[in-house]
Formats: sequence, structure tokens, C-alpha cells
Amino acid sequence: MKPAPFEYHAPNTVADAANLLAELGDGAKVLSGGQSLVPMLALRLAVFEHLVDIGRIAELSGIERRNGALWIGAGTTQATVEASALVASEVPLLAVATPLIGHFQIRSRGTLGGSIAHADPAAEYPAVALALDATMEVVSPRGRRTIEARDFFAGLWSTSMEPDELLVGVSFPIWGGRSGFAVEEFARRHGDFAIAGAAIGIELDAVDRIRRCTLGLIGLGSTPERARTVEAELAGRPVTDVEPDEVGRLVMAALPSVPSDLHGSAAYRKRVGAAMVARAWTTAAAEARHG
Amino acid sequence: MTERAADGGARYAGARVHRVEDDRLLTGRGTFVDDVSLPGMLHACFVRSPIARAAIQRIDTSAALALPGVRFVFTAADLNPGVREQWHTTIGKEMPETPRPPLAEGEVRFVGDPVALVVAESRYLAEDAAELVEVDYEPLPAVVDYTEAEHAKALVHESHGSNVIAQLTTVPASAFDEVFASAAHVASETIYQQAYAPVPIEGRGLVVDYSSVTGDLTIHASTQTPHEVRLFCSRLLGMPEERVRVVTRDTGGGFGQKVMVQRDEMCLMLAGPVVGAPLKWVEDRRENLLAAGKSRQEHAAVKMAFDADGAIQAAYIDFVQDCGAYPTPWPLFPAAAVGTFFPGPYRVPRGGFAVKTLYTNTVGRAPYRGPWQFESLAREVLLDIAARQMHVDPAELRRRNLLRRDELPYKNPNGMNYDNISPLETFEQALAMLDYAKFRAEQAEARSAGRYLGVGLANYVEASTPGYGVYGTEPATIRIAPTGRITVYVAGGSSGNSIETTVVQLTADALGAKIEDVDTVQGDTAVTGFGAGTAGSRSGSMTAGAVRETAAVLRERILAIAAHELGVAIEDIELADSRASVRAKPAVGVSFKDLAALADAPAGLEASARYTANSPSIWVNATHVCTCEVDVATGRVQLLRYIVSEDCGPMINPNVVEGQIAGGTVQGIGGVLFEHLAYDDDGNPVATTFMDYLLPTAAEVPAIEFGHIETPSPGPGGYKGVGEGGAIGAPPAVVNAVADALSPFGVKITRLPLGPSQIVALLDR
Ligand SMILES: Cc1cc2nc3c(=O)[nH]c(=O)nc-3n(C[C@H](O)[C@H](O)[C@H](O)COP(=O)(O)OP(=O)(O)OC[C@H]3O[C@@H](n4cnc5c(N)ncnc54)[C@H](O)[C@@H]3O)c2cc1C
Repeated sequence: MKPAPFEYHAPNTVADAANLLAELGDGAKVLSGGQSLVPMLALRLAVFEHLVDIGRIAELSGIERRNGALWIGAGTTQATVEASALVASEVPLLAVATPLIGHFQIRSRGTLGGSIAHADPAAEYPAVALALDATMEVVSPRGRRTIEARDFFAGLWSTSMEPDELLVGVSFPIWGGRSGFAVEEFARRHGDFAIAGAAIGIELDAVDRIRRCTLGLIGLGSTPERARTVEAELAGRPVTDVEPDEVGRLVMAALPSVPSDLHGSAAYRKRVGAAMVARAWTTAAAEARHG
Repeated sequence: MTERAADGGARYAGARVHRVEDDRLLTGRGTFVDDVSLPGMLHACFVRSPIARAAIQRIDTSAALALPGVRFVFTAADLNPGVREQWHTTIGKEMPETPRPPLAEGEVRFVGDPVALVVAESRYLAEDAAELVEVDYEPLPAVVDYTEAEHAKALVHESHGSNVIAQLTTVPASAFDEVFASAAHVASETIYQQAYAPVPIEGRGLVVDYSSVTGDLTIHASTQTPHEVRLFCSRLLGMPEERVRVVTRDTGGGFGQKVMVQRDEMCLMLAGPVVGAPLKWVEDRRENLLAAGKSRQEHAAVKMAFDADGAIQAAYIDFVQDCGAYPTPWPLFPAAAVGTFFPGPYRVPRGGFAVKTLYTNTVGRAPYRGPWQFESLAREVLLDIAARQMHVDPAELRRRNLLRRDELPYKNPNGMNYDNISPLETFEQALAMLDYAKFRAEQAEARSAGRYLGVGLANYVEASTPGYGVYGTEPATIRIAPTGRITVYVAGGSSGNSIETTVVQLTADALGAKIEDVDTVQGDTAVTGFGAGTAGSRSGSMTAGAVRETAAVLRERILAIAAHELGVAIEDIELADSRASVRAKPAVGVSFKDLAALADAPAGLEASARYTANSPSIWVNATHVCTCEVDVATGRVQLLRYIVSEDCGPMINPNVVEGQIAGGTVQGIGGVLFEHLAYDDDGNPVATTFMDYLLPTAAEVPAIEFGHIETPSPGPGGYKGVGEGGAIGAPPAVVNAVADALSPFGVKITRLPLGPSQIVALLDR
């Protein structure tokens, strides 16, 4: 379990990193916290001639309000996100999702950008980004552009970023009003990737009608998923009329295709997914109503 | 934390003495094989088969050899002819053997089968080169599912003529037809256990250091049996045994997997003397899960007949085991033990068994803590099923059948003669610790609220400390240096099981020394006598015998010299606190240090002796009780309490005993709820990293509560073995707890593992 030989680069600025990536081409890969990439290199499931370590780039870390959203630098560690009071108050869904990522040792190296760029369908951050309609900010020598979450997750472990593009930050919209958030997931053991999970946000109007809701799904497709048709069906209904189990059933019925593996068949994942949606819905709805 | 005994000397045996190895291990100063680094050392990596069964058409090593830094690429043609003899000292030369070619010859027989050995200047380079070794495989039909192996057209080993390795029937099941036909109740099921494995933290590994100048071969090994490694190697290479030295410092777990020498280690022994430099191989996690050996993977048709009162009338087991392609050792005897121990600690007047062992194109079977634990799994799961059928509480059914002390010794129908056990006592103690009646009330209350709690019980009796063959002998040397330091030398093989601590405690007590004056040297075959290492729950109890015998000799010498020196009779001397003093006048005395300096030669205060076991085995028994809650929406099992009451006789060190019980119990819990060394239909392993091979972590396991009953054994100190029991008792206790929780759904559990998806499937049935 030793990686194949590679050359190691450690630029200090985003511009240098972007130039290096463009120059080195397909043989180069960004290395951030290394918690997903390094095991794949060690098992030789991935081989790259060049690793561009972005860990020294100061402008990639930070958490701040920008244009009415919360901007988090791609290099910010999951542990920093977990400890941030700003994240807890402005993007509670992200705050409740973070402790479910692996173990604290992993979160102290793993980064927000690494997790989103890695695009694992069973990971928490991609599902939260999709659920909240986050915006990804990417840079290449051609310049800076933004990609909406719905266009970002292209397939299993793949995104719509170009190989020479660097994810520099993610902007999460801030929900106001009477809102509640919850993540529920089922993993074999503490810290494992989820077999199925749900990241849910609900905003109510003054008379407990659903103003908007978002239903993000973890581990239930080849990308993070979102049950948009169900969200539309639920919008406008009094939250007290909505049965959590019904939401679970509706969401599972709307799913395109669900994966199977050693730990569970598609049918099993759907059953667990329905339970997780129902539990997350219950918690989020209670929080929205009672604060 | 030690108690003062009445005679004023410290008494360490029985006390919770801190482990002497912990300072070293907890501060990162352990020496595992990978910590051994010798000048000029080369590194080995195996090329392993990616196919379950294939003919090897051609191996081209040229591209690998062309890589700078690569020294050798060995194939079967290079290494295999070097084999002179290959048999284990503990098994004997005359026993039948399964084939064991170092590298695959002509055919690969499982995914992970070693095909070539690359030797390079670093492990990185060796892995790079391994990718460049070209092997042309012609796939052949593979035997993957052992339940179809007997009648499969394909043969795993053509030369054997059958996929049945060996079988044995003591009495045919039909012999009991009448008993079963006339019984008031009969329970009969087929019970399956999946493949899982020991997965020690440290994989297997060796550094083989051959000196062409002296002709000496030194092997640094991760092993439970340094002396076996030495003797095996000397025979393998045809080298005089005195030229081979094995040094084992720290071994990061073994659990049976490091008892025998397997093919990978043979390759290193054969290559070592050829490469002109020390050669290291440290197995990585993927190799360990692919090639170090699997365990469990078996099933049996089991049945029990009961009279109207629930008393067992007869018990029969027809057992079938998957042994993979290259099992080590020959599997019939371990399989037969499943039959002989099946009756367990119960009054079973009639019984018999049949066992069958099979080859498949999967990784070979290797020993694992409680190698025949299936006997307890099958029996205890069947007892719960029987209790439900008979509408009797499972605790009550067991109570009616458990052996009482006044019935001992008791010969079970398969020839096992139990004695010095306390099954009813551990059972009642464990139930009292739980408060069984209170739990049943809580369970009923929870059920009415839609929550499903369950309790699982399991009893077993285990044969520890084998007393036959080379297992029945264990040496020690104890030396008091002129500095006053006392060193006890024993064969070693500690792989986490704390023999370092227990022999130090026992030596201090036996000599009347202060524990801080005593050191131990273990695992170096150059300075210790032959002992069979850590296996069969023997190391603690056998080294206790070795220390007792040796210390008795040394004590006599100390007493004689002290009596002479102090001018009193030998009977008037007492030994305590590393000092010999006059009984009536404690102030008059002489320290061990001064006595050692007085002895004629520096070796004057040294003794060696050997303990020979006085019984074929020492019986140990225990009861496991666990409670759980099952989430019927997801199938998650949450263990709530876990209680073990064990009778291992007097404890040398309760911390060590409880550590052994806890470790084995967690492995048993893992085996039921998490671990599965699974293969797909084509024979590809699907759990080759810790992402898929799920070990239970601290978060999944409740604190284990211990109860102790002390029935001395006839062995030294009354001690018994306690290494394996946790892994034997836990699986049935966990299965029974889940089954009990789900009993309102009419669920019957006869197949493992019990992952959440399997539990949900049972509920949906
Ligand atoms: C035992 C274990 C358990 C885990 N459990 C979970 C879990 O439960 N949930 C979960 O979500 N994750 C889990 N992870 C994964 C962990 O969260 C990773 O840290 C994360 O997925 C990747 O972040 P990283 O910073 O380590 O990225 P790296 O591993 O360094 O990179 C991952 C990928 O993203 C690319 N990349 C990284 N940063 C950028 C960037 N700025 N721009 C472009 N591309 C980039 C890399 O090139 C690479 O392809 C676990 C990991 C381990 C080892």
C-alpha cells in the first residue's frame, strides 16, 4: 500500500496553483486534506504524476459573510467549520452535518472544498450544498467562474469542474425567518459513510404553512440527490398536516436509481432512507415551529 | 496496587499489577517488525493473483527487473525447489498435510495467491515493480461456494482427487432416530456462520537476516510462536537448528493467525539467504485481508431431543467447514473439536457428530481465537430456538440442563471428561448481575411502547492449556545477577496477552522478590528454551508452571547460601522483599544482591527447569449475557449491557484476565454484527480494506461487566487459560439477544452475519 511515484508541488497562492494545474495538465491532481485522495493513491486506485498541495494557500481558508451568503474557503478544515459560531448561526444545516463526517481526526485534516470536489454521493457536504443551492467558486488561468450546486455534481465522484480548475470557495445562502434544519443518517458504525441519510431544511410562515423546504439526500444515488418535486408538493401546506412518514415515502418514490453494495441492497437503502427523511423532517419541523 | 500478605512479603499474583509492557507500548517505544531496520536491508512485495482460479501460462519479470533499484523477482521455479521439509513441531511430522507450495506453481487457487516475490531497495520500488511483472492467466472454473464444493466438477487441488479434504463420523445420526422419534420435543436447525478473520493491528511480517560469513540466519518475526518459526525454518531450509535464531520483540496481535508458518513467510525464509542482504516483508492491510487466512465460514445441521421437562435426551451435529485453498494446519482435528465440544456444559446423555472439511478457491483457513467456537454458537442458538418452541424461558431451560458441581467429573457422550468447572455458578452470577427478572419487566414495558429489547444468554466450556505433545512442556530460566536484578527468561510469543507481566508477578512471588527488581526476556530463541508460544489458551498457565518449577530450584539455592551466610538453619530463613532474613529476627538478613555476589560464579544464582503438564487439558467455563435494542426501521442493533462471568480459576492478574475476555468478546460481537470477509460469486474478495471489513469500535461496544468465579484447576497455581473464551461466548449471546428482541415478529435467526440489512430482511419475511 505505497503510492506510485509522484512529484510534489506546494504553491503559496491561488494564481500559482491554477497556473501549475494548467501547465501540468491531466497528470496533476489537487491535494487538500488528503483524507480521500491519499488512501486512493496508497491503494493505487488513482495514480498521478504530480500532486499540487493547496494546504499552504492562506486565501483558501476562511469563513465570512459575503453578499448575503456565508462564504467558506475551500481549504477550511471540517474541524474549523464544526467549531465556527458563524456557521452555527447562519448555516445551521452545515453545522449539524459536520460532526457526522468520519471521526474528529479526519475532520481536523479534511477540508470543506476537498469534500465537495470529491463529490462522494454518500458524503454530507455535497448533499448540504445541493440542498441549500450553494454556489461553487472556481479559478483557472482562464479566470474565475461560479457553478450552481445543481450543475456541479456530475456523477459518481465527478463534478463539472475542468481538470485545471481549482475550487476556491463555496457560498451558502443564509435562510432567515422561522426555519428549522436537521440531518439524519444511518451508518454501519460511528463515523462511517452513511448508507442513507437526509439533510432537510424547512421554513414556515407565521401560520405554520410551509413557505419553502429542501430535501437533500445522502447515499441514495450516484450523486447527492434532491427531491424537488416533493418539495414543490409540500410547499404551501400547513406543516402540521404533513405526516413525516409520508414525506419519507414520497421522497423514496421520486428517486431515480439507488445503489446496492455489501452493506445493503437498493431496497434496503430506500427503507432506511425513508426512515431518515421522516426523522429529519420531524426534527426540522419542530425546530421551525418552536425555534 | 499490591496486597501485603501475612508473611510480610509482597504478593503480586492476584493483584491488579500494572502491565510491565505498557510504559514501552504506550510511549511508542515498542519494537514491531517494521521497526527493525538493518543496514542495507531490502524490501519484499508479493505479486498476487487477481483471479480465483487460473492456469499460469507465462510470467515475464523483465520489465520489473529493469526498474532501477529492483534486485530480484522470484517465481515458483526459483523458490519452491528450495523446500526440504515443511511441518510444524506442534503438529508433528506424521500428520497428513494439505499442499503448501511457497509460490503458486502452474495454477493460482484464490485471489491473493502469491505468484512472485519482488525484492527491491524500498517497499515503494517493490510495489512499483510488482505492477510490472506480467503474468498471463488462463481463467479456470472456480469453486467459490463451499456448500457446492463437494459435488463441483472443478477441483481445487486436482492431485487430491476431491474437494473434500477429510471427514469423520463418530456415530451416524441415524443411531439416535429412536430417541428423537420418541422425544417430547425436538429442535432441529441448520445454522450458518460467515467468514471472518482475526485482523491483528500488525499484519504478519519478517526480517530475514542471513550472514554468509557465519552461516547464521536471524529472523525478526511477528509471531505468537518464535520457537516454532525457528524449527520450521531450519527444516524448511535444511539448516541446522542452532544456526537459526528468531527474535520477537513486540507482536501487534495474532489471535491464532500468527501461530503457524504460512506460504508467504516460507517465501521470505527461502529468499532471505539468497539476496545477500537482510530482507523485510511487512504485510499491509490489504494483503492481510486477502491472504493471511480466513476463519469461521461453516454450517451444521444440529438437533436436540428433550423430554417433557425440558431435559436434554440427545444432541447431534453434522458439521461442514470451508477451508479455502490452502488451510494451515490440516483441518480435520480442529473441525472434529466442533463435534466433541458440541454438548457443552450440559447434561447430555447421548450424542455424536459428523464433520466434513472442504477446499474452495478462497483464502485458506487459519486458526482464530476459539477455532471451534461454532460448537457453542450452534448449541446456544439451538437452545434458544428450542426454548421458544417449548414456551420455556431460555434461562430456565439452561438451568435445568447445566452441569452441577456434584456431577463432576462428567464425561460427555463424545468422550470429553469435564472437571473443575462451575457452569451453574457462572450462569447464576451473570443473571444476577443483569437482574434478569427486572430486565424481562423492562422488556415487556418497552414492547408495549413499540421498542424492541432482547436478552441473549450463552454458556460454554472450553479446553485450555493442552497438555499433550510439545504443548505440554514449558521452560524457564531465572537469573539473579550480582547487581541484584532478577531476569526471568521464557519462550515468549506474547502478542498482547501480557505474559511479560504475569511471569514477572509470579517470579517475584515465588522468590520473595520485589516486583521492580524483576525483568523478563522473551521471544529470543538464542537465550530461551523451546516452548510452544501463545496458542490454545496455554501461555499464562504453562509459563506459571515453568516459573514455579524454576523458582523452586533457585529458592533452594538462595536458602542454602543464606543459611550458611547467616549461620542459621535453612528452615529459619524466610524470603521477602528481595532479601533473605532470619524468621525470628527480621533485622538479620542478607539481600539477594549480596547473595548473588557471594555465589561462587556469576552464574551461581541461576536456574533452569521445565514444567511438564499433568493433565491433557484444563477446562474453563463462562456465561455471556447481553442485552440489546433493535431499531426495526433500520435493522440497527444497539448493545445495551454486556456481562461475562468467567471461571478461569484464581487470576494471576485481573486486569490481564479482563483484557483477554474483553478483547475476545469484542471480536465475537464483530463477527455477528459487523465483520464479513465476503466474496462475490466469481471468487473476488469484496472486503479488502477497513472501509468494507467493518471492525467494531469503542462506539459500538458497551462497557463489558465482569464477574469471576474461582474453581482451581489441577495445574500450577490452580490457573486456567482465558485467552479464547470471549470470542467463543459472544457470538451466540449476541445472536440470541437479537432473536429475543425480534421474537414478537416470529423471527428465527439461523444465518450470520446479522448486519442491519439482514435483520430487515428477516423482519420482512
Ligand atoms: C476513515 C474515513 C472516514 C470518512 N468518513 C467520511 C464521512 O462519513 N463523510 C464524509 O463526507 N467524508 C468522510 N471521509 C472523507 C473526508 O471527509 C475527506 O476529508 C473529504 O472527502 C475530502 O477532503 P480532503 O480535504 O481530505 O481532500 P483530498 O483527499 O485532499 O482530495 C479529495 C479530492 O478532491 C480534490 N480536491 C480537493 N480540494 C480541491 C480543490 N480546492 N479544488 C479542486 N479539487 C480539489 C482532490 O484533487 C481529490 O480528487 C472519510 C475519510 C476517512 C479516511
